[in-house]
Amino acid sequence: MSDCQHQWAMVHLRFGFMVYERCSHCNSLRTHFSEEDVWDEYREGDCTYMVVENAQTFVFDLACTKCNHVEKYDNLMGLLYCTGCLPDCKVEILRQEYAAKRIFLLVAFGHVPETQTNRISQEKLDILTEHFNQRRDTSRSTVKIVPFNLIDKLSVCRGEFIHDVGMLSLEPPEERKPLL
Amino acid sequence: MTTEEVISKLGLNSLSKFEHREVVGVFVSDMLSDVMAGAKSGNLWVTVQTHKSIIPAANLVDVSAVIITGGKKVPQETIDLATQHDIAILVTELPTFELVGKLYALGVVTQ
Repeated sequence: MSDCQHQWAMVHLRFGFMVYERCSHCNSLRTHFSEEDVWDEYREGDCTYMVVENAQTFVFDLACTKCNHVEKYDNLMGLLYCTGCLPDCKVEILRQEYAAKRIFLLVAFGHVPETQTNRISQEKLDILTEHFNQRRDTSRSTVKIVPFNLIDKLSVCRGEFIHDVGMLSLEPPEERKPLL
Repeated sequence: MTTEEVISKLGLNSLSKFEHREVVGVFVSDMLSDVMAGAKSGNLWVTVQTHKSIIPAANLVDVSAVIITGGKKVPQETIDLATQHDIAILVTELPTFELVGKLYALGVVTQ
């Protein structure tokens, strides 16, 4: 194990789009990152996938500026902030508890559906948390990033991803429907 | 320079409740992803975006204030969320270009 006191920086930044696709046949959702603004409908077996949302975002890895160790975040789909939609949800309970300690809670999502079976490891989430805390004045507040599986009911969660949705529209964005 | 001095010198209006703090440089962008990738702690974030999603992005990278230009109307839910997270929401009628020029003239430059 390395004894380096890692200092993390974002590397391998790529700007593009988080594409949310839903099958019109079975209603399953999948997400992927694309550097191009794709809206194509396509078939895969019995499924016909159509884009339901295309949000501008970016992907990155983290590298230690001291020892050059790189931590990859290929499967990080986005960070979601809790809007307190379900009072009994574990995330909302944690959010309130942390808020009293001036800790800002965010929820990390991997790509759907892979993330449901292959979650982003706790170690990677801790490193991501460490990175954002290293970038801030932690005497004021800190950040904590938790896994999405703490959300009780994904299908009704109204948390919002920190993605750029509807950037080309001059109209204020409408309230987003639950995506998952 | 502090947020209090910037507000006073540029005649900005404060919409949220917050504690004043030191300003370290300026970051200009209308994209949350840009801010998450590039803004630094203490930066003044200048934008025309008013959706409540700017608050988690601002909080994540610890900007000293969000300055919304062009006289855009800011939704109450954005202001409430900003107050909840001690984020300064400042507004001005000036367009981004003019505001940034005034900040530069004040000596608030990105470091």
